[in-house]
Amino acid sequence: MSVPTDLRFTKEHEWVRIEGDTATFGVTDHAQEALGDIVFVELPEVGRSVDAGEAYGVVESVKAVSDVYAPVAGEVIEVNEALEGEPDLVNSDAYGTGWIIKVKISENNDSAELMNPDEYTEFLDD
Amino acid sequence: MTGLLKTPLFDEHVKLGGKIVPFAGYELPVQYKNGALKEYTAVREGEAGIFDITHMGQVRVQGKDALDFLQYVTTNDVSKLVDGQVQYSALLNEQGTFIDDITTYKMDDENYYLCINAANRHKDVAHLRKEAENFDVQIHDDSDDTTLLALQGAKAQSLLQDLVGFDLEDIGYYKFARGQIGSAGGIVSRTGYTGEDGFEIYIPNSIAVEVWHALVEKGAVPIGLAARDMLRTEMGYALYGHEISDGVTPVEAKLMWITKLNKGDFIGKAAVEARKAEGAQKKLIALKLVGRGIPREHYPVFVDGELNGEITSGMHSPLAGGGVALAYVKPEHMTEGHLTVEIRGKQIEAERTKTPFVRSNVRK
Repeated sequence: MSVPTDLRFTKEHEWVRIEGDTATFGVTDHAQEALGDIVFVELPEVGRSVDAGEAYGVVESVKAVSDVYAPVAGEVIEVNEALEGEPDLVNSDAYGTGWIIKVKISENNDSAELMNPDEYTEFLDD
Repeated sequence: MTGLLKTPLFDEHVKLGGKIVPFAGYELPVQYKNGALKEYTAVREGEAGIFDITHMGQVRVQGKDALDFLQYVTTNDVSKLVDGQVQYSALLNEQGTFIDDITTYKMDDENYYLCINAANRHKDVAHLRKEAENFDVQIHDDSDDTTLLALQGAKAQSLLQDLVGFDLEDIGYYKFARGQIGSAGGIVSRTGYTGEDGFEIYIPNSIAVEVWHALVEKGAVPIGLAARDMLRTEMGYALYGHEISDGVTPVEAKLMWITKLNKGDFIGKAAVEARKAEGAQKKLIALKLVGRGIPREHYPVFVDGELNGEITSGMHSPLAGGGVALAYVKPEHMTEGHLTVEIRGKQIEAERTKTPFVRSNVRK
C-alpha cells in the first residue's frame, strides 16, 4: 500500500494529519500489518492533554499489547468510538476509518520528529 | 536464530506466508498470511484447520513391565486403557508437582506410546529412562523421526478419510487406529486441543510434506500458534508453563480427575495426598471480564480490592464476546469475593464462570 501524501509519520509508525489547529492520529499500514489482527483499542478520555511522544492509548492484537504515541502535543477533542466495536478498522483502513484520536494542537507546537511520506517510505525500506 | 530446530514442514510454512517465531526450541509459524482470527474462525465455524505440531515429543514404552511402569510414573489409571485407547495423564515428581502433562496411547499390553510437550522432552525422557532402570521396559524417543499433524474442525473427518486405509468413523473420542496413511503408515487418534471434532496424525517425517499437501489441497486451513492458543484457551485446557508447572500439583490445577489416588503407588502420590489433606495453596478459576479489556498472562487478579493471584492464560474470545481467562486465586476465593483484573493500573470488573468458555464440539 502506498503511503498517503497528506500525512506525516513517526519512527514508531504513527501517522498524523494536521489541518489548521487540529491533528488526527493513527497507526500506519506497516504498523497494523506487523501487529496482526487488532482485537482491542484503549482510547484516552476527551479533554486529556498529551505531550509529543507520550503514550496516549493502547492497541492490542491477538498476541501483543502496543502503546501508541502522540506525534504532536495537544488536547484530545475526539476519539474514534467506532473502534470500541470494530477495532479491526485499524487493520482494514489504517489511514481512514481506522483513525484513533483528534487533538487540538497545543500552542507550544511541540512535536516528535516527523517524516514526510518520502522520508517514511525510505525509513521503511532501510 | 541459532540453535532452533525446523520441522519437515518449515518450507511449507514459509511458502504459505507463515510469520516464523521461536517456540519451544523450534521455528514455527505464529500465523499465516490471512491472520490468526481467520484461522480461528475456520476451525470454529465449520471448516477444518491443519496444525504442524511436530515439535511435540513421542516416546515408546516397550516391555513386559510396561503397564506397571506407566502405573508408577503417570498419574492416571493405565489399567483402564484398552488397546487403541488414549488417556490424558501427567508425570509428577516426588514433590507432587508437574514434570509434564501427556497423553498415553495403548497399543497392546507391552507397547505404549506417550505424546509429550516439546519444551519438556529431554527432561521427560531422562526421567523416564531413570525410572525405567527398575522395570523390564525400554524407552525409545521417536520424536526426531515423527511428524505430528492435528486436523481439527467439523470437516476434519471428511478431509482425512480419502488419505487413510481405515474407516475413521470407527475411531471414537480418545481412540486411535494404526494403518496406511498416504504412502506410509502411522497413527490417527480422535484427539485434539481445540474443542472441535478432529484428529491427531502421527506419521514418519518422510511423508510429512505429502500428507500436508494433500490435506491443504482438500481445503484444510493452515493454523499458526496464535490461533491454536486461542482455541485451546477458549476450552480452558491447561498448558504446561502456564496453568501447570513444577510449582503446582494436580490439587491446585484442578487435575485430580486424571490423578487416581486409589490405583496403587505412583511418583508424587504421597505429596499429592498430603497437599489434598492440608488444602491447596491456590486454585485455578475461570473468569470473564465484565468491563472492557483483554486479560493476559501475569495480569494481577484482585479479590475485594486486594491482590489475590494472577492470570495464567487470557484472551479476547470472539465467540464469548469479551475477555476470558484462567487464573490462580486463593482457595477461599474460588467461589466468593468481588473479582477484578488489573489492566494497566485500572481495576476491571470480572466474574467467575465455567470452562469451556464456549461450546465444545468434540464427539463424545
